Amino acid sequence: MSEVAERAVQNLRRRDARDKLMGRTRYTIDRGDRGMLHAALLRSDIASGKIRRLDVSRAAAMPGVRAIATAADAPGRAGLGIADHPLFATDIVRYCGEPIAAVAADTEAQAKAALAAIAVEIEPLPAVLGMAHALAEDAPLVHPDWPSYELLHAGGKRGGNVAWEASVDRGDVDAVFARDDVTIVETDFEVCRQNHVSFEPRATVAHFEDGRFHIESSTQVPWTVRNTTATVLGIPPSAVRVTVPPVGGGFGLKFDCALEPFAAILARKSGRPVRLVNSRREEMETCLFRENAQIRIRSAIAPDGTIAGREAVVLMDCGAYGGEQVFLTTMTAHTLGGNYKLGAARIVSRAVYTNTAPNGAFRACNGVYNTFALERHTDEIAARIGTAPDAFRRLNVIGDGDLGATGQVFEGEVLRPMMAKMETLRAQTPVAPLSDGRLHGRATTVGTWFVFTGPSAATVNMNADGSATLVTSGVEIGSGSTQQALPQIVAAILGLSPEQVTVRAADTDAAGYDVGVGGGRTTVSLGAASRTAALDVRTKLLKVASDMLEAASEDLVLADGRIEIAGAKGSGLSIAEVASHAQLHLGPIAGTGAFAAANTPAMAGCCAGHFIEALDIPVFAVHDCDIAVDPDTGHVEVLAYRVVQDVGKALNPRAIHGQVQGGVVQGLGYALHEEADVGPTGQIRQNSFETYRVPLAGDVVPVAIELHEGAPSIGPLGTKGAGEVPILNVGATIACAVANATGKAVHALPLTPPKVLALLLDSAPPPRFAHIKDRHIDNRLPPDF
Amino acid sequence: MTIRLTLNGEEREFAAPPMTPLIDVLRDDCHLTGAKPVCREGFCGACMVLVDGIPTVSCLTPIALVEGGKVETVEGLTSADTPPPVQAALEAHDAVQCGMCFPGMVVSLTHLTQPGECDASRAAIKAGLTGHVCRCTGYERIVDAALAVMEGRQ
Repeated sequence: MSEVAERAVQNLRRRDARDKLMGRTRYTIDRGDRGMLHAALLRSDIASGKIRRLDVSRAAAMPGVRAIATAADAPGRAGLGIADHPLFATDIVRYCGEPIAAVAADTEAQAKAALAAIAVEIEPLPAVLGMAHALAEDAPLVHPDWPSYELLHAGGKRGGNVAWEASVDRGDVDAVFARDDVTIVETDFEVCRQNHVSFEPRATVAHFEDGRFHIESSTQVPWTVRNTTATVLGIPPSAVRVTVPPVGGGFGLKFDCALEPFAAILARKSGRPVRLVNSRREEMETCLFRENAQIRIRSAIAPDGTIAGREAVVLMDCGAYGGEQVFLTTMTAHTLGGNYKLGAARIVSRAVYTNTAPNGAFRACNGVYNTFALERHTDEIAARIGTAPDAFRRLNVIGDGDLGATGQVFEGEVLRPMMAKMETLRAQTPVAPLSDGRLHGRATTVGTWFVFTGPSAATVNMNADGSATLVTSGVEIGSGSTQQALPQIVAAILGLSPEQVTVRAADTDAAGYDVGVGGGRTTVSLGAASRTAALDVRTKLLKVASDMLEAASEDLVLADGRIEIAGAKGSGLSIAEVASHAQLHLGPIAGTGAFAAANTPAMAGCCAGHFIEALDIPVFAVHDCDIAVDPDTGHVEVLAYRVVQDVGKALNPRAIHGQVQGGVVQGLGYALHEEADVGPTGQIRQNSFETYRVPLAGDVVPVAIELHEGAPSIGPLGTKGAGEVPILNVGATIACAVANATGKAVHALPLTPPKVLALLLDSAPPPRFAHIKDRHIDNRLPPDF
Repeated sequence: MTIRLTLNGEEREFAAPPMTPLIDVLRDDCHLTGAKPVCREGFCGACMVLVDGIPTVSCLTPIALVEGGKVETVEGLTSADTPPPVQAALEAHDAVQCGMCFPGMVVSLTHLTQPGECDASRAAIKAGLTGHVCRCTGYERIVDAALAVMEGRQ
């Protein structure tokens, strides 16, 4: 297939760019329908309480009101590992912003007026607003009934306010730490929340026709929307069809069911299409943020500079419901437990309930802060044992045949050659020395990420005009994978140009199951399914052509829209001729393809509570930067940023470069100024663009990029996901560079000017979490639960 | 109250309360959905339109303030099949990702790339984009495209 791989490589332009540039693209927020109603949600304004009274009768009589929905309309509970999440607050309110009722009216103003007429009385209950409180002995339980919830995934420990606990135990860590020849280094880290700020808010238009729901939605996961809507409404999943217009940004925010069931219920009740769109304020306050987290890492370093043992506790604030966070506890083993060879390892990752807006998935979820913590900790180890940070990394990074934290055997020598490439890239992109009194800092970090494999389906229809139609549930969220990589793969196999491959927009009635777009999986999982489907078509085309040309299939080649007898150009037929012949005499040609996770094994008995015990496709990244720190203001300027990224095989290098630039800039926001946190009443304090600072054009630099090809991958044509990982070690790299510039230990992000000044003035003590216990075992739930 | 204005070259009359945001009239009454209501507080620039040739955030502009004025939206900048230089340059530089910010970017860049409006330098273009946020691209390709237009390379 190497010839096909080479043919697939090209800097194909996006077919959706022109309409987007002319303002013609219709995102979900731009869609409408005749007779469409506008919906609005009544949300709780307190963090914890008991609903004493809810009376919608006055609201129902308001002008223009067509339907009202409450908890009685949505009996089910949904979740990823635990079914803990009702659609509406049912008796109990668990966070500020939790939906209590929904109204559909002729206009948005009427819907909002009706919300104000709903009589609701909530008796406040004690609220748990932070993880220290949640883990205290006498903490109120966010979910007093947690033992009764349905478990959707076996193996995780749960208890009290610990929604989920995933752990790794490999080797005798106690024995390693008891050795008298090891150097022990221990560090605590803390990060706040990050808001995705995707430009299109979560938005949906729902229809109820012929006994079925049709939901148009701005989502990354049409199949999750289908299945979750069915679960909370108590209807069969087959009664829900989800289609997805172009999505105005996701970054993980839309990797879960969101507003869709509300609109669906209102559509059924009113018999009219219903539009529901979050306001920016709702979007900011109920964002499924990148979670705030607290981390302790402890390492035992042997005299030869290797890591004899490591233990870690990672606390992830999941907010009021478990959601994606339950799954994401899995990732700690691979991110914080990644990068380096470990003699023995003991890691626990806990999703902790609080009375705050639920957190979710955000590009390189969990990995971004664990890589920050791990790489800063690594620099502290190097400083303690008197080794250069780069030398320490070269000695200890995972190489061919090395064991990962969960005992997975890694294949291929990847990180060391990437580090060597970074040295070259660094030499090629020097920065001028500073002469203005600012402090120069630099750092190189490494990171381990993965491709979220998992099931995907594809169908390729071969049309009689010589074009092909690719049908998948793949969503175009902006990364371009469905516009570039997928048609490039199909076209290369069928001997067509990518422009001849029509890509069907996601529709759960048309295409088979797919996990969704996220986790760097589009090119890999949907690409693999598409490749198989295209190969199926190719085989069928060659069979027909072989009969038509009276030549053996294996003597035929597909290229440039034709099927030729090898070595005799012009002897064959156009693909259109073959396809139309087949259509007439045998029926139209179509092919199907499917893909599923390879389930790469971990070491037996190492993991508990993990959804993924070993990585099917590891992805590595090496980042480097130069920065300037202003000692008077604490402002950090990025002078140069460099990325060497493991991409397996780059099908569209220009598109990948675009993802790297965009991902790094999102990471710079996280590292330097994006900050969301919970105020004293439980409300998210940053509820607008004015209070949440995202990177602007003036903040950024062109990233110097080198794509590392050739690392092993089970992805189609050797590909790996490339869009998610660029954000992975930006926080780490900036933090290490600020530490390098200032000579001060950095233990928290973001590095806003006041925080950098506090570092310089030694006025901010390093975090020390009393609720993370000194003995590792005291941070684990008892084994019998 | 009846408000008259020229919208994308066409004389129009609107009956709307004077404080109605221009963006709502454009999107809800005229079905011109190119301008996007992203932040509704004038920070993101996704709703930018030209009012008498000047880039203006339509979310914070009451309809009464454009009475008698000329309003051009992103749709009005592209009447033919061939995209104008700014749009063509952004397409050629593969700058677009999710695309939600681009209608506003295109409006401002159309103004910024007029002769005499902005130095043909990265720093000046970035300063000119201060009122725009893009969450996907990391900006540099947008700057590349603007520079190409200014230098006549498009």
